[in-house]
Amino acid sequence: MRTRKSRASRDNGLFAMAAVAFGLYLCFLVLPLLLSLKSSFTDENPLRSTSGFVGLDNYGEMIHDDQLHASLGFTLILAVGVTIAANAIGIAFAMMLNRTTLSYRVMRTIAFLPQVLSGVIVGFVWQTILTQQGLLNVTLQRIGLIDSPIAWLGSPNLALLSIGVVVTWILTGFTTVVYLAALQGVPVELYDSAAIDGATTWQRFARITFPLIAPGMTISVTISLITVLKLYDVITVLTGGGPANSTRSTALYIVKLAFTDNRFGYASAVAMLVLAMSAAIALSVTSLLRRREVNF
Amino acid sequence: MIRRTMLAACVVGALALTTACTNGSTGGTGTLTYMTFETPSLNSTFWNDSIAAAVKDAPGVKINRITSPSTDRDGYAKQLQASGQFPDLLQSITPSTFAGAGLLVPYDQAWVDANFLLPQGNALKGKVYIPPTNSQIIPEVFYNKELFAKAGVEPPKTWADFLTVCEKLKAAGITPMELGGGDPFAASMPLVGILSADVLGKNPQWLQERYAGKVKFSDANVIAAVEKYRKLVTSGYFDEGALGVKYADSITQFTGGKAAMYMMGSWFLGSVPKDDADNFGAFPVPTADGSVVIPFAVGGSMAISSKTKDLDGATRFAQAWSLDPGNLKALIESDGAFPMLKGKTLDDYNVTVSQVFKDSFAYVTDKNTKVAAIGWASNDDAMPPGLNDQLYAASQALFTSADVKGEMAKLDAAWDTATK
Repeated sequence: MRTRKSRASRDNGLFAMAAVAFGLYLCFLVLPLLLSLKSSFTDENPLRSTSGFVGLDNYGEMIHDDQLHASLGFTLILAVGVTIAANAIGIAFAMMLNRTTLSYRVMRTIAFLPQVLSGVIVGFVWQTILTQQGLLNVTLQRIGLIDSPIAWLGSPNLALLSIGVVVTWILTGFTTVVYLAALQGVPVELYDSAAIDGATTWQRFARITFPLIAPGMTISVTISLITVLKLYDVITVLTGGGPANSTRSTALYIVKLAFTDNRFGYASAVAMLVLAMSAAIALSVTSLLRRREVNF
Repeated sequence: MIRRTMLAACVVGALALTTACTNGSTGGTGTLTYMTFETPSLNSTFWNDSIAAAVKDAPGVKINRITSPSTDRDGYAKQLQASGQFPDLLQSITPSTFAGAGLLVPYDQAWVDANFLLPQGNALKGKVYIPPTNSQIIPEVFYNKELFAKAGVEPPKTWADFLTVCEKLKAAGITPMELGGGDPFAASMPLVGILSADVLGKNPQWLQERYAGKVKFSDANVIAAVEKYRKLVTSGYFDEGALGVKYADSITQFTGGKAAMYMMGSWFLGSVPKDDADNFGAFPVPTADGSVVIPFAVGGSMAISSKTKDLDGATRFAQAWSLDPGNLKALIESDGAFPMLKGKTLDDYNVTVSQVFKDSFAYVTDKNTKVAAIGWASNDDAMPPGLNDQLYAASQALFTSADVKGEMAKLDAAWDTATK
C-alpha cells in the first residue's frame, strides 16, 4: 500500500515537472515559432502597429532575392567545410587524447575550452590575430614568410577561410569530446584480437574504430551542421558580414531585414526557410549516418 | 483548495505585473522614459549630469533613463517599439525612420527658428523632429603636414591636383590614403565624399529626384564619379589590404604617420592627438573645377514620441536639454561636432579645440555649397532604410571589383525594393 502511494506521489511529481518543461517549451519555442510563421504571411513592420496579410508574397520574393541566395550559399559552404574539418580534427584529437593519465585529462579540458567561450569573445580574440596589423601578420612578417600583411578578413575568399578556421576551432572542442566518449565505448578486446590477427594501425582504425564511433559521428555531424547554419555572433564580430556582404550568413541577413530594412514579415519568411532547411538537412544527415552505425 | 487559490492568485498577479511592466511608454505617473546611449566620452556621468541640469529647467519632470545596448539607437528603438515600450524621448535617432510611421511629434517651429543657426537643417517635409544642435562634415580629407612637406606637396584644390598629390606621395614611398575598410561605414567614406561633391554638388536635389525616379545610380554622371574612386584604388593610393583594416586601427595608423591622408567624418577631430594636433590639417574633397562643396549632415539632440502621455513635460525637458551649451561641450571636444546654437561662439561652450577643428568649423560657418552627405543626412535627403548598408557594401565591393555599373545597378534595385 505504502509502495503504491509513494509511486503515485512520484508520478505526480514527475508529471508536474514534465508539465513545467512542456509549458516552457510551448512558451519559448512553439509559440514564437507559430507567431513567426504567422508574421511570414504579412507585411509586418516594427514601426507600424498594424500589418496586412500578403499571402505567399514573401515566399515568392525569396526566389528572386539575390542577397538571400548569396547568404545561403555562404552559409552552406561554411557549414559543409566546417563540419568536415571539425569532425576530422575531432576524431584525430580524440584518438590522441584517449588516455587516462593526468596530463591527457588536462589536455582534454584545454581542447574543450573554445566550446565554453562566448562566440563574441572568440570573435574579438581572433580579430586581434587576423586583422591587418594583427598577431598573425606581424609574426609571419617577423619570420620573413611574407613581405606585406595579408588581408585575412579583407578579401572575400580569405575572409571565408578565416571564419571557417575560427568556427572549426570552436567546434573542435565539442567534436573531440563527443568522439572521446564514443571511443571509450569501443571494446578493447576487439583491438587485441585485431593485433593477434596482424592488423595494421590503419586497418584497426578503418575496420574497428571508425565503424564503432558512428553513433558519436551522427550526433557530432548533425550538431556541427546546425550550429553553423545558425551562426551569427562570431561573424558579426569578425567581419560584420563583409567585405561587400561576402561573409553575410543567413542569420545576419535575417537581422538586417528585420531591424535595418524594417521588414519583419519578410525576415520571418526567410527564418522559416532556414528552419525548414536546417530540419531537412539534419534529418537527411541523421538518417544517412544512422545506416552505417554498428552495434555490438 | 486554499493553496490552489493562492497559487492561481500569485500567477495572475505575476502576469498582471509583467503586463504592467512591459506595456505603455512611461515608467509611471509623471516619469518620462529617455533612451540614451553611451560611449567613452558620453558616459553614464555625462547623461546623469545633463539630465539633472535639464530637469532643473523643466520643473516637475522626472526622467527614467534607459541605455541602448549599442550605439545603434535606431535598432534598439525599433525593438522597443515592436515590444510596446517605445520611449517618450529618444536621443540621436534617425528621425526619418520613425516620423514616417507617425511615432514622433515635431518641435514648435518658432522655438526652432529662434534658437538654431540652421533651423531647417534636418527638417523632414518642413517639420523638425530633432533640434538641430550640431553638425558634421562627412567626410573631409585630413592630412599629415609633415608627410606632405616630405613629399613636397600642398593641400590640393582640384581633383587633378589631388591625383598629382597622391602620385607624388606614392613616389616618395608614403601611402597616400588611409582606409579603415574592415568597417563598412569607414570603407564608404571616399565614395560618400566623391558622390556628395560630384553628384550632389552639381545637383543638390539629386536624392529628392532619386525618390521621384528622375535620376538613377546607374546614370552616366554617377558612374563617372564612382570611377574616380576606382581610379584611387587601381592607382594603388590605398594600402592593398585596406579592407582588412578596422576603423579603430585606421585612426591609429593615420595618426601614427602610416599614411598621408584620411577621408573621414569630422568626428575624427576628436581623435587628433592633442600633443601633435598642429601636424594635422583638413581640406574638402576636391572637385573637378576647384569649387568648395561641403558634404554636410545636421545632427541633433532628442526626438519626442507621439505616444508620450506627458507631451508638455517631454517638450520642456527636451528643449532645456537641447539649449544647454554644457551638453555640447563633450560632443565638440570628443566627437568633433560643430555647435549650431544661435548667438553662441566656441568660447561660450568652454571648450579646448585644435586649430584643425577651427579650420574645419570655418567650412561650416563660411558661405559655400553645402550638400547632404549621401547616406548620412537625416532630413529629406536621408536614404531609404537599408540603402546605407548597400552603399557601404558597394564601396567594399568596388575595392576589388571593376564592375561599377553592376554595383550601381544593385543600388538602384535595392532603392526600388526599399521604396516600393
